[in-house]
Amino acid sequence: MMYWVSVVTEAGIFAILALGLDMVWGWCGDFDLAFYGYLALGSYMTMVLTIGKPVPPTQYILGLSLPYPLAVVLADIAVVAFAAIIGAVTLRNLREIYFAVTTLSAVSALYLFVQVYTPLFDGYNGLFGLVNPGQAALNLTYNGYRTFFMAVVLGLLGLAYLLVQRVSGSPFGRMLRAVRDDEQAARAYGRGIFFAKYRAYLFGAALAGLAGGLLAVFISAFNTSAWAPQELLLIYAAILVGGRGNPRGVIIGVFVVYVAFVELTRFLPFGDAMRQILIGLLIILMLRFRPEGIFAERPGGARAGGARAGGARAGRTGNQVGEVADPAAARAAGTKAAGT
Amino acid sequence: MSTFLINVGIGLATAAILALSAVAFTLEYAVSRVANFAHGELLTIGAYAAYSGQAIFHQNIAAAALIAAAAGALAGLGLNAGLIEQFRGRSAITVFIATLGASLVLQNSLLIIYGAANVTYTFSQGSLHHVGPFLWTTSDLRVIGSALLIAGLLYALLQRTRFGKAVRAISEDRALAQVSGIPARRVVMQAWGLAGALAGFAGFALAETIGTFGPSLGFSFLLLTITASVAGGIGRPYATLGGAVVVGLAVELAGAYTSSAYQNVYGFGLLVVLMLALPNGIFVRRSAVAVRA
Repeated sequence: MMYWVSVVTEAGIFAILALGLDMVWGWCGDFDLAFYGYLALGSYMTMVLTIGKPVPPTQYILGLSLPYPLAVVLADIAVVAFAAIIGAVTLRNLREIYFAVTTLSAVSALYLFVQVYTPLFDGYNGLFGLVNPGQAALNLTYNGYRTFFMAVVLGLLGLAYLLVQRVSGSPFGRMLRAVRDDEQAARAYGRGIFFAKYRAYLFGAALAGLAGGLLAVFISAFNTSAWAPQELLLIYAAILVGGRGNPRGVIIGVFVVYVAFVELTRFLPFGDAMRQILIGLLIILMLRFRPEGIFAERPGGARAGGARAGGARAGRTGNQVGEVADPAAARAAGTKAAGT
Repeated sequence: MSTFLINVGIGLATAAILALSAVAFTLEYAVSRVANFAHGELLTIGAYAAYSGQAIFHQNIAAAALIAAAAGALAGLGLNAGLIEQFRGRSAITVFIATLGASLVLQNSLLIIYGAANVTYTFSQGSLHHVGPFLWTTSDLRVIGSALLIAGLLYALLQRTRFGKAVRAISEDRALAQVSGIPARRVVMQAWGLAGALAGFAGFALAETIGTFGPSLGFSFLLLTITASVAGGIGRPYATLGGAVVVGLAVELAGAYTSSAYQNVYGFGLLVVLMLALPNGIFVRRSAVAVRA
């Protein structure tokens, strides 16, 4: 029973991360490899804001004893601020492989820096001591708290889903897809490409930071062996399985892939190495044979009615040009604009 | 001053390995338009093949190097036939993600075969030699010498032979090369074999210089390789050699004057700066156009 609570909690946390990542990859089409860094930063920041003053020779920044929910919010703000810097420099001109490699080197530099610069988050040793915040106040047993925490994670996942779904069907969400499918056309149509992508990027990073704050409680200790930039590939595999650009598919993908991997690899030899091999194979096979995923994105937004409603809602954001209802329209508009 | 020159010497030895790896990376890019993320694993395969081979060809370093190159070539051929060609016509980023997956598969397969613990060659590093103002070990000299030799051979191969001409034609436009009667599929395959051999040899040289290595040897060298390739301008083999020298020196010197623990942080930082400021490399004056929408 507690085993499944733990599995579901972790899958829920990664589903929140995946929703954030999908806004960047699924909606905007930018393959970002820095996202696990945002999750890690959210985790580290939540830790240093809650676990109190460091005891020498341990050293880390801040060392406050804030209440956990406040700490998560503040940590998330720090994550978004960090993502704001990365996004500002990478999203402007870099596309495709250039964007992927640049974000990967940024997160790798961050990873190494956290590892060797001990005054920040105590280097290799990392942080620990965030054990079930609020357990005493809630008057719960250890297992009771873990179940309660699972409910909190699933609740937040539900909220994140509703929010993402709402944005997905909004003119803003459709505009991002238009940019993804044909950036030149969308640009010709008068869209502010950079700021649209930038907003989505920060939104996604905020979800990653939230996932990090939750992960801090889930594993209660965090160091550089608990994360590596490559871990993000599992999330990408899950998004590929679920269907990129479709929030519901993404969540299902994470649960299916995560539970399948946890369960499968218990019965296979070589533990984690075998798990990584299977993740790699899954990515290759999905890309080769079914790149749109099991639950493909529906045209014109994730909701079936999205495309229909799109026309009616045109111009709601106050732009002089109507919102792009679907990629085809954007392309048509682009061709027209190019012709003049 | 003399410490500075010694560090320059170490930088040049690093640059030589980086040059081999980066030229192979850029050759792969030139013929297949793919940033091969599994390139690092070609190096690791070469290093491990030489490790297995040293038991058979006792202490013969030339034989070990040949085994490394042969294993790398096989891996390169396999990667092209099994993965890259399967993804022909797909977007560059899709192929890139697929190679990321391949990297995971290969790296962890090696981990299962050889174990996670680091292994060590038993070749002697040789004595120290003063060459001009520099101070190199025998193995440094071997690496630098073979890198120069290989660069020369590669130049002759690409500029003077039919194969080289075909590779250059394909890197311009594969379809056009094909209609001109170039057997594109076969030439691309051969180019991957060549790139794999270079990478396998580079992996052996890298492992031999470091002294000890594990399954993530090539993976951690990959970003430096990409940095060198970008510095030279991706897809341009000769400029890549220059890029490797710049990156090798920059990383070694920055590490020597601060802390070697931060060496790779500088490398990655340099890559970010290059991507933003000079995405076409430091040797071109074309305006930076990275938007490929």
